[in-house]
Amino acid sequence: MDDDKRSHFRKALREIKNLPTLPGVIIKLSKMADDPETTAEQMGKVISMDHILAAKLLKLVNSAFYGFPQKISSLSSAIILLGVNVIKSLIISASIFDIMEKQDVELWEHSLGCAVICSVLAKRLGVQDPDEVSTAGLIHDIGKVAIQMELPRENELINQLVLERQISRRDAELEVLGLEHAEVGGWLAKSWNLPKKLVEPVASHHDPRMASDEQLASAIVHFSDIMIRGLGYGHGDDVWVPSLSKRAWRLLDLSPEDMDQILPEIEEKLWEVKGFSLDIQTNQ
Amino acid sequence: MQEILINQADKGMVLARDVTNQDGRVLCGKGTELTDTLIERLKKIEITHVAVQGHPVTVEGERTLEEELQAIEKRFSRVSDTPPLMFLKKRLTEQMIIARRK
Repeated sequence: MDDDKRSHFRKALREIKNLPTLPGVIIKLSKMADDPETTAEQMGKVISMDHILAAKLLKLVNSAFYGFPQKISSLSSAIILLGVNVIKSLIISASIFDIMEKQDVELWEHSLGCAVICSVLAKRLGVQDPDEVSTAGLIHDIGKVAIQMELPRENELINQLVLERQISRRDAELEVLGLEHAEVGGWLAKSWNLPKKLVEPVASHHDPRMASDEQLASAIVHFSDIMIRGLGYGHGDDVWVPSLSKRAWRLLDLSPEDMDQILPEIEEKLWEVKGFSLDIQTNQ
Repeated sequence: MQEILINQADKGMVLARDVTNQDGRVLCGKGTELTDTLIERLKKIEITHVAVQGHPVTVEGERTLEEELQAIEKRFSRVSDTPPLMFLKKRLTEQMIIARRK
């Protein structure tokens, strides 16, 4: 892989054009969030100007991985309950996954499932902001979407390599592009001004040793991605459970007893999400 | 346990999970035996899918237990040196066998 080629792909992906409007809404919200005078109502109003986006957002907020006991029906309460960072990421997810729901249901289900496991683990491990961790899980593969959208020819080649040589998608990406989707996802998240809590777990979900400030959150997303693959929600022909970082596992410190308690909880929540995903597909 | 569409439900099947409404309220508890009237009622309130005990519905193209177990084998084939993941595999295999028992 010569450096020219690598930097060419890097440039193409950094200047990403085909991703659906990371809409003006995001920029507006970021500005509003920085202003201490802004109220949740005002932010809610900005979002609700886009009806479809608002509806999707509420659907995501009410899905199993946040697990609020009562239905949240207004955007302003969603903002108060989940915080601006989560809402921003959800808007991003709603716009990106809009395409994925239609084109790549498998990746959408993998992402939802990963978010579910993140939520179960984060709550169990007493992480301060469990919602941010599940949101990181939801968007951990945005890099894949970017590659699909921006470099369709190379993406086709990557798929072929996976199938022919029976290698992981990550290895195929490294071979074709000289970069892999976690890195790409990390740049994207950063370029959207998402906080480190979201950027690091996305960027380091294959190798959580790369995380600096957000080691636990990164370890959770790393292991959730592994678990959801183990459960059979993989992506395409790359069906293998990837290797587990020893350090991440030590950090999570889960005993077999913990696992036995977590598994039924995950199964229960995945079932709810399955209904949710079916719902989205049939409501189009 | 099998997840089925409400249209595939039949009397005599037994719910393996609670049926809940959008707010999470339980409408019909786990262990309830389905009757024609109950199924009609669930359809009316737009319940689209339920979980039932055993594996009563044969779906075309669905993987057999044997194939499911092979798929688990394949998925975990590259991490056989990682004890925690082998533990996970063991549990998933056990669960799959129990879920398919009629």
